[in-house]
Amino acid sequence: MAADMDPTKRWTIHIRDTDEHYDCDAGQHLLKGMLQLGRKGIPSGCHGGGCGVCKIRIVSGEVETITMSRAHVSEEEQQQGYALACRCFPRSDVSLDVVGKMQKTVCKRRYGFV
Amino acid sequence: MGVMRIGHINIRVLDMPAALKHYEDVLGLIRTDEDSAGNVYLKGWDEWDKYSVMLSPADRAGMNHIAYKVENDADLDTLKKRIADYGTDVEEVPAGQLPYCGRALRFWLPSGHLMYLYAEKDFVGKSVGTTNPEPWPDGLKGAGAHWLDHALLMCELDPERGVNKVAEATKFMKEVLDFRLCEQVMVGPDGDIQAATWMARTSTPHDIAFVGGPKMGLHHCAFFLDEWNDVLKAADIMAKHKVKIDVTPQRHGITRGYTIYFFDPSGNRNETFAGLGYLSQPDMPVITWTEEELGRGIFYHTGELNEAFTTVYTEGA
Repeated sequence: MAADMDPTKRWTIHIRDTDEHYDCDAGQHLLKGMLQLGRKGIPSGCHGGGCGVCKIRIVSGEVETITMSRAHVSEEEQQQGYALACRCFPRSDVSLDVVGKMQKTVCKRRYGFV
Repeated sequence: MGVMRIGHINIRVLDMPAALKHYEDVLGLIRTDEDSAGNVYLKGWDEWDKYSVMLSPADRAGMNHIAYKVENDADLDTLKKRIADYGTDVEEVPAGQLPYCGRALRFWLPSGHLMYLYAEKDFVGKSVGTTNPEPWPDGLKGAGAHWLDHALLMCELDPERGVNKVAEATKFMKEVLDFRLCEQVMVGPDGDIQAATWMARTSTPHDIAFVGGPKMGLHHCAFFLDEWNDVLKAADIMAKHKVKIDVTPQRHGITRGYTIYFFDPSGNRNETFAGLGYLSQPDMPVITWTEEELGRGIFYHTGELNEAFTTVYTEGA
């Protein structure tokens, strides 16, 4: 599918892990688009490409990405479709897998913070 | 004598124009210089040394180093010996290697964070001057932050493997650099695991803090505001600029500060910290928070740690 650059265009995002679908404007990153609709599925962290919790893998479709920390997505991984959701703007309908994890508060934390 | 205060933090940013918009327009820091490597230097209006924030362009977010200023040049010799006697490698770097600073000591904390100590830094002063100064200058942008107040460094904590870098870093800061322990969080079945500490050299509740997490990193650096109303205004400014806010205005139980946690455009967490809390003095007894009340210690109003607090942070080295 050819990438569509119209920033007002709205695309459908499919989170394969939870089989959820939501719509996201081309001018909004995949994480913001999801949160604005009150939807869940991709962990939400710094929204700046620095912390890595919203790591995803694009399975199909096209996104435009902006700088993300190499601490979390190497160049090789990026070639394979890995990205941070807060750095991806949809340019077509997108299907993705969630890779990043938020530490769960239930049962994991045995020593205060960890 | 010894360490006076936090001097500066060197933060890596992924997009310098976006970072400058944030640190200048939202936080209200003032740009003082830029070097040929693309590093940008900023200070709060109420600071007199050349910079307290050094932004470095990079492809990974996080902190390169943190630096503290000592009172006299001779303190560097004393502390160099004490650091070495403790068994920590310490290197003396010549004047200018730490930008715009005199000779400096360079060493790694037990937690893996790089620290510098220096006695001299270029002086630029405050725009209000020192003769009959106005209480604040005109033309401040954004939140108009006064100064870099402190940083919180994440330290690896895994009691089951016997790893506690919070306790190790705290011991080093106390025994070698004479920081005072003001508050601590004690956890575990017997309440004997030091999971977080707040330490000071000034009379504020903390000039540095250490919190245990899955891996070491930079949790946040904090900028000082006067009072609660300034915190609300800062939050308005962040909302206007669509800054990602982590925790909206609230009080910390620990240190009693008024806080907002938010992220810079590279995902480094910042804080605006207001209120001087209490006067911390050398003879003040240590305040201890227990595991059951940890939520209220960090976020006094909600009483709950948010999920992101110990998971979402950037690299510390």
